Amino acid sequence: MNMDGDARIESLAKRLGNEAAARLDVDATARKVVERLREQPARRALWIHQTWLRIAASLVIVVGGAVAIRHGQPARTDRAHDAHFVADDLRDLSTDELRDVLAGFDEMVGSSTVAVPEGSTDLRELDAHQLRAVLRSLEG
Amino acid sequence: MSLPQAATADLPRDAALILAWQAGDEQAAAELVGRHARPLARFLAGAGAPEGDVDDLVQETFIRAFRSVDRFRGQCQFRTWLLTIGANVLRDFGRRAARRKMLPLDDGVRDATGDPHEHAEASEAEALLAAGLQQLPRLQREVFLLRAQQGLEYEEIAAALATTPGAARVHYHHAVRRLKEVVK
Repeated sequence: MNMDGDARIESLAKRLGNEAAARLDVDATARKVVERLREQPARRALWIHQTWLRIAASLVIVVGGAVAIRHGQPARTDRAHDAHFVADDLRDLSTDELRDVLAGFDEMVGSSTVAVPEGSTDLRELDAHQLRAVLRSLEG
Repeated sequence: MSLPQAATADLPRDAALILAWQAGDEQAAAELVGRHARPLARFLAGAGAPEGDVDDLVQETFIRAFRSVDRFRGQCQFRTWLLTIGANVLRDFGRRAARRKMLPLDDGVRDATGDPHEHAEASEAEALLAAGLQQLPRLQREVFLLRAQQGLEYEEIAAALATTPGAARVHYHHAVRRLKEVVK
């Protein structure tokens, strides 16, 4: 390796940045550094406080939302199920009309699937309340 | 609040000042700035810091150093450790500048304004060296500056950059070889 070349490079390197260093006001820099050190712990504490509040608020929204969704979905399903009870929709029908509906249904699905109340073998023996109960049992 | 003088009397000056700063002595921080600000400014300017930003970068380096001084274990001199923090500060500055669509540091961002007389005084070779440094890989550039500009031993450089003295020596020689090609 050319030592003259190395020495020249090293000599040039020693001069690099000398002007910038000479222009630096060291006392003013020290003052500013100390001031910033004094100010920044408070700012940092405030930043940490605000950040934790944001994180906590986000968690409340996310967890609360998830809980609401989990609890809300089955509730809606139950309500929807209630609303679709055909037996309730047939509230205005008379006993004979209800009996006809069940008889027609009985023919469609087969008599073995109809949950006839104990002690009864014939739909004709059931009153309106019992007929609605049978319809509900058919709806599951 | 400051430590009793007897408690720090046998410690090297920097170590004593660091302990005093950790105990809350602001004057100790100011003295550390006074002892190391100019070498740090030289290093930053040599590594490519725009002249107009050297003061801010020096401040930022000291702030980071004082904030993380608990992690300084005396593996190298305080000044060497400070210079490596300065290199990180300068790298972050370069990234921010690039995001703002300014020219990145590696393209040689330097303050083109200022006193024309001062620019005339800078030799052409010095300007070529500065430009050549920007073309070097970061580690080569830092090792070169720590060795050639700051006059540090390879062992000290290796400890600061978490490498081996042998590797630091290799980086240095690669850097010198490339810079000699630039400064012909």
